Amino acid sequence: MSRSSSVEDIPDQCKDLFTQDGVLLKACLGRPVTDLNAIGMLCIVQNPDGTKSIEWRPNDLITIDSDTQDQEWAVVNTIGRRQRTLSGNITSDYATARARIIKINLDELKTFRVTRNNQQMQFSTKPGVWQTTFYFQHGNAEIFVAYLKNHIKTAKTRHDRNTYVVVEPNIESQVLNRSFAELDIFTENTTDVVWNLMSNLRQRPYETTMEAFSKLTDIVYYGNEGMNGKRDVSEEVADLLTKSMSAIEDSTTLTRTDEYEVISVKPTLPPRPSIPRGTPLSTEKWDGLQDTEGRVTEVEGVKQLIFRGGVAHSIRQSVWKYLLDYHPWHMTHAELRALTKKRTEEYFSMKLQWRSMTEGQEARFSEYRDRKSLVEKDVNRTDRTHPFYAGDNNPNLVILQDILMTYVMYNFDLGYVQGMSDILAPLLLLLGNEVDSFWCFVGFMDKIACNFDMDQAGMKQQLLHLSQLLVFASPALAQHLAQKDSANMYFCFRWLLVWFKREFSYRDIMRLWEVLWTELPCANFHLLICVAILDAEKDILISKDYGFTEILKHVNDLSMCLDVDKILSTAEGIYHQVVSAPHLTDQIRVILGLPTLNISTSTHSDDQPSTSKVENGTDNERNMFGQDMDEGTLEYNGIQISIVTKTVWALLA
Amino acid sequence: MAKTYDYLFKLLLIGDSGVGKTSILFRFSEDAFNISFISTIGIDFKIRTIDLDGKKVKLQIWDTAGQERFRTITTAYYRGSMGIMLVYDVTNEKSFENIKNWIRNIEENASADVEKMILGNKCDLEAKRQVSKERGEQLAVEYQIKFIETSAKDSLNVESAFYTLARDIKAKMEKKQEASNPAGARTGGHQLRNEPQRKPTSWLSRCSLL
Repeated sequence: MSRSSSVEDIPDQCKDLFTQDGVLLKACLGRPVTDLNAIGMLCIVQNPDGTKSIEWRPNDLITIDSDTQDQEWAVVNTIGRRQRTLSGNITSDYATARARIIKINLDELKTFRVTRNNQQMQFSTKPGVWQTTFYFQHGNAEIFVAYLKNHIKTAKTRHDRNTYVVVEPNIESQVLNRSFAELDIFTENTTDVVWNLMSNLRQRPYETTMEAFSKLTDIVYYGNEGMNGKRDVSEEVADLLTKSMSAIEDSTTLTRTDEYEVISVKPTLPPRPSIPRGTPLSTEKWDGLQDTEGRVTEVEGVKQLIFRGGVAHSIRQSVWKYLLDYHPWHMTHAELRALTKKRTEEYFSMKLQWRSMTEGQEARFSEYRDRKSLVEKDVNRTDRTHPFYAGDNNPNLVILQDILMTYVMYNFDLGYVQGMSDILAPLLLLLGNEVDSFWCFVGFMDKIACNFDMDQAGMKQQLLHLSQLLVFASPALAQHLAQKDSANMYFCFRWLLVWFKREFSYRDIMRLWEVLWTELPCANFHLLICVAILDAEKDILISKDYGFTEILKHVNDLSMCLDVDKILSTAEGIYHQVVSAPHLTDQIRVILGLPTLNISTSTHSDDQPSTSKVENGTDNERNMFGQDMDEGTLEYNGIQISIVTKTVWALLA
Repeated sequence: MAKTYDYLFKLLLIGDSGVGKTSILFRFSEDAFNISFISTIGIDFKIRTIDLDGKKVKLQIWDTAGQERFRTITTAYYRGSMGIMLVYDVTNEKSFENIKNWIRNIEENASADVEKMILGNKCDLEAKRQVSKERGEQLAVEYQIKFIETSAKDSLNVESAFYTLARDIKAKMEKKQEASNPAGARTGGHQLRNEPQRKPTSWLSRCSLL
């Protein structure tokens, strides 16, 4: 194992991606007993050939009394023991120590488990034998496991929650990763098929009757009768939906009653329809949506499809340019070519502005210098664990930097604000082209520029709107948050600032973003996404009586544990609940971009007796019925929305 | 083993973007270092319980986003903090100059008697150093704040920095307790600990007694 390599070679041999100090070797097959209880560093390393391994390196020859191991680290450890001693080891002891390094290649790792209060980790490269056991003296193995999961795909076994099985990378992620790495143009439809398959798999658990809903758009827009027959089709489907929703209503009556009984004096929301997600916009459909010269005429229809199911990965490069207002929908291929040429020239002339700045100019231009330094700092810590941005001297980092610097010249007042690199990174990864990425980034920034206001007014307003929506849509949780000094919703800051970028994997954030870019079914739908996530957590937050700090921790820890399709489906359900609520207020209407009724909210003011509230509520319900029907068609000019409204109302009747 | 503690201290890490606040926290709470850190958006905290002169002290350490724009949000979390680590990067002159602004920021948003400490981080990068240790010390003297150079990467002085800050808070707190309860201090010194349900005022209310 040990080679005659000189000490100087060591850093070049493999690179530490993650290191965890204070890890004890508890057991290792084939090792002398003297090695056990040695303290060392457990690392995830990248080997020179690009493969990765888990490596344990003994710190020194010190062993410690095994009696102390079961005690809490926080109490046991003194400052002295926690001092890292690695630097002192690279001496004559090094060869001995090196021979004692334990290395497990990630390719060979089959399973691992975390036991003993999360402090012990065991690894196995063949079934039935735990070859190595490590004890985490400081803290626990959670962080190590979290980072390990960045490099391998794992699944928990059914019989033992603590045991993880390393799963072979599935076809989908292989294709996706390869595509990301090589930036395939996706000439084939294989990914499309896989994505559809995945999407269908997710839908399987839903009630079959509800699947009709997801196909609604297809029927409306692509049925044999085309647009002329939409009314007939819609009525049929509406009928079907009414039946299916009644079925759902029956099945959930009990819980709903439980949930709402407590607050029966207050107006309650109608039941939440469970709306399955649709399939992504496919290549065939996308091709079919463009006329012979390349114009996309059925813009609303396209957006509806994307809202329902997102975009197949293979056509994202093309579709995102439209969604992000870089390519106008109505342009022909020829017009787009001319536009691209113009935008390319514009981009490079702006890029030249900062590239041609001399050192002297820079020295006398502190505002520019500050922006540049911020960009550099953030580019170097943007998604570096993703293969596309990993490694030293990665050319993609240079492009990331160039685009952000050029954006500084494009919008100098806004300049660079932290979070922008998070917004850009997935765009560049997908589009692969500097100019396209820049203009799509401009489009995205136009949608969320208020997030980056100097005075943070835009963020504060969104947080306020979110809390108002929560009061309406999840009153019990809103009340809990208010009691715990958390009604300012600051714990959702990260979600909103970078549109959930830090909460989801690349695959999922692409889906979420493209759905949100459609700006359907209402304004500020991203706030309903927040409501959907929080509503799913409300039982935990309330039952465990989480306070100010625990709420923040819990919300932060949801990162990478969220199911994007489920959340989108819930958020849409909540949307329908809210807009069809008899007591929908103008305040909520404004947030969701619905026309206001200019009705004073006094019908539900607190000083009224509860009986009169119920009566007023019923009157309002009738009044607003017609209004909502009109709104649906007025607001979106889309048949689907009016069907939904009608269905929900039929359900309430 | 039930997790109990004698004291809970809320600490705060502040300083310019990219000076290494998250790395310092990660080193202290997990004894680990990651080459690919990401910038902090919003706010987060980590917990570590330490043993301080026979007392279990739970440290709740808050990590904040450094960019000035986010201060209106992050300062909301200053409230109730008992110790603040002001961090600069020894390879970045600007981050050092900004320490003065951060101190002003504390004065406006944190309680007046909050314990402070200045950390000059990344001292392992000697070749890139822009701020000498002497200048750090000078600044510390000027503001009468303790100072230490650290390296989260090489695990240098991070432990002792937190221990020092925690010890100073503990000392200050015990002094306050004695002052507010002079009889107890004279007769037994620890009488306060045996009184159930006593509610100390201000930030002392965050200290949970066994």
